[in-house]
Amino acid sequence: MTTQIEQVHADIQELVAARSNGALLSATRPHSDTLHFVVAKNAIRSVANALFNQLHARYLIAIGTDKRPATGDFSVMHAFSLDREHLYILLESPVAEDDPRIDSITPVAPGADWAEREFQDLIGVHPEGHPDPRRLLLPDDWPEGLHPLRRDFPYNFRPPAVNNARPEMREAPKGASIIPLGPFFPVLEEPAYWRLFVEGETIVGCDTRLFYNHRGIEKLGDSVLTYSEIPYLAERICGICGFIHSTAYCQALEKATGIEVPRRARYIRTIMLELERIHSHLLWLGIAGHIVGFEVVLMQAWRIREPVMWLCEKIAGNRKTYGMNTVGGLRRDLPNELLPELFKTLATVEREAVAVRNAVVGDSVLRARTEGVGVLTGECVRNVCAVGPPARASGVAIDARIDHPYAAYDEFPPRIVVEEAGDTWARLVVRMGELVESIRLVREALSALPEGPICAEIKQEIPPDKVGVSLVEAPRGEAVHFVLTGGDNRPYRWRVRAPTYANLQALPAAVLHGTIADVPITLGSLDPCFSCTERLETVDPRTHAIRVYSNAELREMARAKGGVK
Amino acid sequence: MTRALLLCLLNIAVALFLAPLFEGILRKLRAALHSRTGPPVTQPYWDLLKLLGKEDLRSAVGLLYGSLPPLTLGSLLLLAALTPMGGPAPFAFAGDMIVVLYVAAISTVLIVLCGYASGSPYAFVGSSREMMMALSVEPVVAIALCVGAFKAKSLALGAMMTFQLWNGPSISMAIAGLAFFLALQAQTGKAPFDIAEADQEIMGGPFIEQSGPRLALLRWAVWTKQLVLTFLLVEVFLPWPRFGNLPLDLLASAVKVLAMLLLVALAEVLNPRVRIDQAMGYFMRVGLSSLSALVFAVIGK
Repeated sequence: MTTQIEQVHADIQELVAARSNGALLSATRPHSDTLHFVVAKNAIRSVANALFNQLHARYLIAIGTDKRPATGDFSVMHAFSLDREHLYILLESPVAEDDPRIDSITPVAPGADWAEREFQDLIGVHPEGHPDPRRLLLPDDWPEGLHPLRRDFPYNFRPPAVNNARPEMREAPKGASIIPLGPFFPVLEEPAYWRLFVEGETIVGCDTRLFYNHRGIEKLGDSVLTYSEIPYLAERICGICGFIHSTAYCQALEKATGIEVPRRARYIRTIMLELERIHSHLLWLGIAGHIVGFEVVLMQAWRIREPVMWLCEKIAGNRKTYGMNTVGGLRRDLPNELLPELFKTLATVEREAVAVRNAVVGDSVLRARTEGVGVLTGECVRNVCAVGPPARASGVAIDARIDHPYAAYDEFPPRIVVEEAGDTWARLVVRMGELVESIRLVREALSALPEGPICAEIKQEIPPDKVGVSLVEAPRGEAVHFVLTGGDNRPYRWRVRAPTYANLQALPAAVLHGTIADVPITLGSLDPCFSCTERLETVDPRTHAIRVYSNAELREMARAKGGVK
Repeated sequence: MTRALLLCLLNIAVALFLAPLFEGILRKLRAALHSRTGPPVTQPYWDLLKLLGKEDLRSAVGLLYGSLPPLTLGSLLLLAALTPMGGPAPFAFAGDMIVVLYVAAISTVLIVLCGYASGSPYAFVGSSREMMMALSVEPVVAIALCVGAFKAKSLALGAMMTFQLWNGPSISMAIAGLAFFLALQAQTGKAPFDIAEADQEIMGGPFIEQSGPRLALLRWAVWTKQLVLTFLLVEVFLPWPRFGNLPLDLLASAVKVLAMLLLVALAEVLNPRVRIDQAMGYFMRVGLSSLSALVFAVIGK
């Protein structure tokens, strides 16, 4: 077995060496499941081509890092995953400061599209030969030539605002008219702008502008926060699957530094991760029902979801944003005396979830409405590297819980649900299957919960220059976290890729040749995860007085003892 | 003449003031099926009052844009005057079922124009959907009424009602009534046929740029339409029982109307919205099947 793995590693290394034409600068293995190659930048496209199209490695994300203080160069790293071999491949190239350009790999690996535009925005390395090198995530009024992820850019610097800045959008093809979707639209929880090109009701193309809520979280991670503070920020990346992000960050760092997490902590992480999947899929089902005007599904799915939130609150003290994860394990145990109550609630949830699953999967009108809508072919999924339920609904059987086992999934492998049709209906069927499967996983993990400590003891300083990659299967697909450790008790680079980042790139293909009526549900069927919480309004039921709390007030209240006065 | 005028006032008053109440009851039913408490049944009245008192914000200039909402409500009040509600239709002397069909169609066209006049791309899409729906649904209504006319050998609604009342149920009228009922779901803009408004797709379609008093009038018009068309259905196809006493007959009809509307609301809650092409295909099949009612009518069943 071990020799087999060694052989795979040797083969990959040979391939990379051959395709880089002698430009392979180093090949290391920072972790048993991670291979790290550094090649000269002129070889990056041909090596990426070999990895993506010959080895069929899946593209994960690009990590652009400003390593000038250490090595004098920028660094561009492309992360790939070889799912069946349970391997991550990191392909890195140094890019000299006086010539900040590198060959784009998007022409050979289309999934790298946004990732390359992102490092162009953030560290200012231009991907040459990129088919669409427009700005991706910096605001429209952000000055040219200012790259916020460079080390010499202060995290709190704000360039002056400019009025009437507009995104650079494509014009409609001849004969088509424009229907805007967003930046504010009823079925979008976050500002996002889709410009649909339509002929009659038929979509002939679209263009997007997103990242209106980009919060600069990665910058905070490598300039302000410390290793042990980041899990709390990571948890706030998402309002639905926050635990997934804090777990992924912790696991990446634990891997980079070789920290062994105790078994009980891995079990509890598994339980919380699956609870998030359960309530997220129920939330999604409700929203999907709402989008097609099926309000009873919304109301009933969310009613069933409440006991799950209650379970989370019982365990963590909070419905959401548990603050349980820390590097090395957990800060908070799951009290064993809670177990009988948890099992009881879980049984109710299971009964109702199965009932709602059967009702929804048996609904012929809903099926007629979503079948053949927003079709993503397996080939398209592999090209744009879509993940999670959209991938599995198109016959691409990837699931980070199986491909890169973490937490306690090696002991509780989930049965993954795969459909072939690739349409909105298939995505619904996949999610409904996962919903029931997740309940089983939670029950089994709760039944077999081992005793023991919940956090590893970390005795020495975390050494610099270690890398760790971790994939966590969120309800929407895998979240990728990458950590490169640094010197001053914080990462040198912390990279986050939420699953929606990968899935939204598949949207243009999914809506093409469909109708306007199909766009919201197709978008909804990818379960885009947007998060933004900035203010809160309260109404006093007796006096009807309305009070709006500002961000600062909320912060004060959260810090004050006793809560709202 | 005086009697006709009084009846006319009665019909208009019933249409105007009962419509929000029935809408309120439908909301309660919807809420119950959603496991919600729902707003009080009087909420639609308060909604109208609130909207009537709001500022009139306009997205377009022009006489047409401003005058369409009152015209729409007006066209439906005219429809109420042409429809029997408990008693005979007050303006029966002025028009038969052909006029009723015309006036019903006018209200749809006026809403479509509202959308086109407001200059929003969503309203454009909504209006073209509304028009397509009308083109596929109104033939069904016409066929259903034609069956009644053929049986009664008269185009007058009163004659159809009397014929149905005296001759009892028949296969042809049952099929025609069913077809009318299925069309009602679309005529009242309820899911699965709320395609023209489709909040989650085109944000209300023709209504997106309507606000304040104009939105109030349009809302009122939509509720009035669902009430009056349902009256038309129960009076022509389900006229029993008839007491010969106007208040009693009106009450009986109102109860039947409410029962019908509750069925419509039930179908609304239990179905997702379909796409326009699916809806048009569905009504083509309904229309073709309802032709069988004509065949039955010809052979006297």
